[in-house]
Amino acid sequence: MNFARRFFSRPTAILGFAIFVAIVVIALAAPLIFARGPFNIVGMPLLPPGAPGLWAGSDVLGRDMMVGLAYGARISLLVGVTSTLCAVGLGIFFGAIAGYYGGVVDDLLMRFTEFFQIIPSFVLLMVLVAFMQPSLASTVIGIALISWPQVARVVRGEFLALRSHEFVEAARVLGMRDAGIIFTQILPNALPPIVAVSSMMVGTAILTESALSFLGLGDPNLLSWGSMIEGARSAMWVAWWTTVLPGLSIMVTVLAINFIGDGLNDALNPRRGR
Amino acid sequence: MLNRRAALGAAGLLAYPAQAWALSGKGRVMNAMMTDDPAHLNYPLFNTRIMQEICGNINESLLLFDWQFKPHPNLARAFEMSPDGLTYTFHLRTDVQWHDGVKFTARDVVFSCGVMLPQLNPRSRAAFSHIASIKSPDAYTVVFTLKEPFNAFLLSLMASSAPMMPAHIYEGTDFRTNPYNFKPVGTGPFQFAEWRRGQYIHLARNPRYWRPGQPGMDGIYYRVCPTSEQRLVAMETGAVDIAMADDIDTVVTARVMGNPNIVARDDAYNGTGEIAIMELNMRRWPFSDRRFRAAFLHAVDREFLVKAINFGQGKVAHGPLPSTAPYYDDKALTKYPYDPARARALLDEMGCKPKQGGMRHRFGIMMIPDGGGYWTRSAQYIKQALSEVGLDVFLEATDYPTQSRRSGNWEFDCDTNTYGTYGDPAIGTSRFYLSSNIRKGVPLTNLQGYINPEVDRLFAEGAVAINRGEAQACYSKLQQILTHDVAMLWMFERKPMFFYNKRLKNLVTGPNGPGDGFGAAALT
Amino acid sequence: MKLRYIAARLVKTVLVAIAVVVLSFFLIRLAPGDAATVMAGQSGFADEAFMKSLRAEYGLDQPMPVQFWKYATAVAQGDLGTSYVRGQKVAAIILERLPNTLLLDAFALVVAAAGGIWLGSAAARRPGSAGDSAVTVLSMLFYAVPQFWLGMMMVLVFAVWLAWLPPFGIETMGADYTGLARVGDIAQHIILPGMTLALYFLASYARLTRTAMIEVADRDFVKTARAKGISERQVARRHILRNALIPLVTYAGLQASILVGGSVLVENVFSWPGIGTLAYEAVKTRDNPVLLGIFIVTALLVSLFNLITDIAYSIADPRVELGR
Repeated sequence: MNFARRFFSRPTAILGFAIFVAIVVIALAAPLIFARGPFNIVGMPLLPPGAPGLWAGSDVLGRDMMVGLAYGARISLLVGVTSTLCAVGLGIFFGAIAGYYGGVVDDLLMRFTEFFQIIPSFVLLMVLVAFMQPSLASTVIGIALISWPQVARVVRGEFLALRSHEFVEAARVLGMRDAGIIFTQILPNALPPIVAVSSMMVGTAILTESALSFLGLGDPNLLSWGSMIEGARSAMWVAWWTTVLPGLSIMVTVLAINFIGDGLNDALNPRRGR
Repeated sequence: MLNRRAALGAAGLLAYPAQAWALSGKGRVMNAMMTDDPAHLNYPLFNTRIMQEICGNINESLLLFDWQFKPHPNLARAFEMSPDGLTYTFHLRTDVQWHDGVKFTARDVVFSCGVMLPQLNPRSRAAFSHIASIKSPDAYTVVFTLKEPFNAFLLSLMASSAPMMPAHIYEGTDFRTNPYNFKPVGTGPFQFAEWRRGQYIHLARNPRYWRPGQPGMDGIYYRVCPTSEQRLVAMETGAVDIAMADDIDTVVTARVMGNPNIVARDDAYNGTGEIAIMELNMRRWPFSDRRFRAAFLHAVDREFLVKAINFGQGKVAHGPLPSTAPYYDDKALTKYPYDPARARALLDEMGCKPKQGGMRHRFGIMMIPDGGGYWTRSAQYIKQALSEVGLDVFLEATDYPTQSRRSGNWEFDCDTNTYGTYGDPAIGTSRFYLSSNIRKGVPLTNLQGYINPEVDRLFAEGAVAINRGEAQACYSKLQQILTHDVAMLWMFERKPMFFYNKRLKNLVTGPNGPGDGFGAAALT
Repeated sequence: MKLRYIAARLVKTVLVAIAVVVLSFFLIRLAPGDAATVMAGQSGFADEAFMKSLRAEYGLDQPMPVQFWKYATAVAQGDLGTSYVRGQKVAAIILERLPNTLLLDAFALVVAAAGGIWLGSAAARRPGSAGDSAVTVLSMLFYAVPQFWLGMMMVLVFAVWLAWLPPFGIETMGADYTGLARVGDIAQHIILPGMTLALYFLASYARLTRTAMIEVADRDFVKTARAKGISERQVARRHILRNALIPLVTYAGLQASILVGGSVLVENVFSWPGIGTLAYEAVKTRDNPVLLGIFIVTALLVSLFNLITDIAYSIADPRVELGR
């Protein structure tokens, strides 16, 4: 297909895709690769990488860093994808209505998104998560709640542009109801920029989740890369691998996703040019 | 200077700013640290450790205690007890002034012990409930008459429990909102000078201090230093001179101890005698069953907890009293060594069997996120250890207000905490096991809901026992019963480290450490 | 006409601030636990009678709308309430910390803009070259790196291993410098956190500049200028860059809420005593008045900043009419 060819013509997109697939595979296969879970204490704390059986060393509790890094990938990907899906769902819902019907609903939405642009959204996120008590659910919900306005604006813009096109008129003449027009006619044509925005959002969501965990606002029952860095703060200067390795993992993952996002953007919007 | 920095940097030590191990401040000023500003500086109102450490310099008590917990004169220049143990007479020093120049008299003692302390401080309230009357026949004599002999009475006058507060400032006012909570007035070697929120609290030397030759230093700064890695930097570079309990994370204690410019002491908090514990809400099954609690202790390798999670600092606790306490009786204790097989057997026996999925019971442990510090680590280890015997734990990250509220209102399964024992069981220990101290909404009480009439009786008897032998008999029996019942989950005895610049001396003069103030501190 | 626009925008700013107050107030009130819980927890005794008296004292037992009205009227007079935890006035606390954050943000903004524009224009002059790709990849790297981790790495490298710069804080603890020495001390301390904060935005500026300049370079008036014989450097500076600045100015406006909101992470890693660390402490201690105060002040500042950038926008591009 034309799209696939355009996507894979960029070297960065190929690289990003390859890395991302590798990370997903590691994350999914972690329970199969490693005999014990990430919380299992396997020895004395703060053993350097290269110690027997510990390629990435042990952390401040004596747990295997390698296992931790692999399981951390599961959390990052899970939170990144789920919160983005929720945000996109909300964004499409509100954005479509605002863009299609215009008027008061549109005004309300615009004021709402302005509100989110003006208040410090990370502080709002901290407040939301703290009040909902830190957990996986509150992290996902919180991130979705502060990200959906972005999506809604893009959707609204597309719907505003597309709603007066001929094919919409035609559908209406044929007797199609509003809901049908929105979902079967306009939305498919509005998808390209939505997909592009969403893919970047996954990366941002992963960064945000790690930031929350770093601040102690993540789920204490799960091991994520951010919580690994938090736990290693005091040991930072005596055991560099405990902070450097999780951070690199985050960076590589987000980088790969951003490369994919760029590639998608180019492939879906060939007229926008470089 | 650059070469020295680079060399030190290469050696893994920190060198910025490169100060040549002089005292950190100008003149004879010491710098200490605090994680964040205390809420106020009225120690009886709510005593956190940092308030105790700061106010120890400002407020004093009638007596000072030595390493054997024997009392010595302080604000009281002499004291005697009647042979029947019912009357204590204190003769106060006549040359003591409050920081604002007003003379310290018996009126302040009567006010503090009779009104302010019992009202604000639960420990004082419990201890002073034994008092029948307080009288002052003259301006410098105070006579306490007790309802029955209370052998821990003198200990209850430790500075950490009963600092003297100025009557002329607090009497008749609302203690909670008195503005002097933020600019405290006391009799101690240092007086309040300045509080810059978010930066520091400055105490200056008290020129009117009654002890000759003290204070040896001109002032103390308590500087806000929020994260543990930064407190490490501050200590290693000499930016501060003193690191108090828990300032330095146990992860890097060994590194600081290896620093030739720093002196380390692990006995500065013996007076508090803290034990890290976990509490179970005994109103809920299976926590109500003694066998569950025993299984819990068998399932957790507390030696590993001390050795690996706390990097060797501390000692496994086998009962309600620390091994350094006067009434500690090792022979009376039922111990629960690490034995997961035994834990599983006990759980099976009590009917807490594995359901499908392999887990027997699911419950929550509240923990306070401390930036990845010791509390977080131990909670995670315990969760891991318990899952090995089939107990599915979910950790609940709370904050201080929430933890306080939930534990006070008994809305919890299990929580983690550390309790000071303060030398005598009647002061620091009984409050957690007496059925009369089950008060909803109040922290630091018998939150578990443990009820045992014999324990109540023994605590009451032990407190009023006339001689040491009788008291020991009561407390030994208590230790036997409490450990048999597993009345609380005692994890380990904490020995927080106290570090200071080797150019200072006399910083720790007794088991209360900083709680007794730094009046004797001087340059070597 | 311009004045009318500015007046209208100021009114809009106030309206937005009001909306922020309303929404934040009710959001924070929804949280479980309140002032009484916080303060009771602090004072060590929390029985029902005490909590009740606390609630009465702080007016928390009154119906929501009444509480809101009291709060709103106080805010209008500049009184943002009193902190539950510190006992100080919220406005005073925020005023103490705000300059530190603004200083850090200003430094980061300047570094990001200057660095980004320089990198972006360098890349735009030779599109498709190795240098251009390097700039693109570097930008992507800066987007992907977690800010807090970057800060920690900076500390590790520059403060611990190389010992060139101080590892935390805004001033050397206990040194009490004054005058020029103090300025120098703060300058040393601002470098690491400022650079950490700046790198993400530097990447954005670089990409925006590059894209804008390439696009503009294609336009007619540039070709005309070249045809006239004006030197390449002059073409770049006078024509391309000036026009490329427009989207940058808009972007600066977007940046504002992220920055002014308190770069919580960077301030946390470096213990920079600003609004970010204040917000974090307030969340951990449930200090609602402080949180509300931060929302309000931030919203006002960001709106003001957006107004300024809009005006700057209109100056940069005279074709733009200040209006809808």
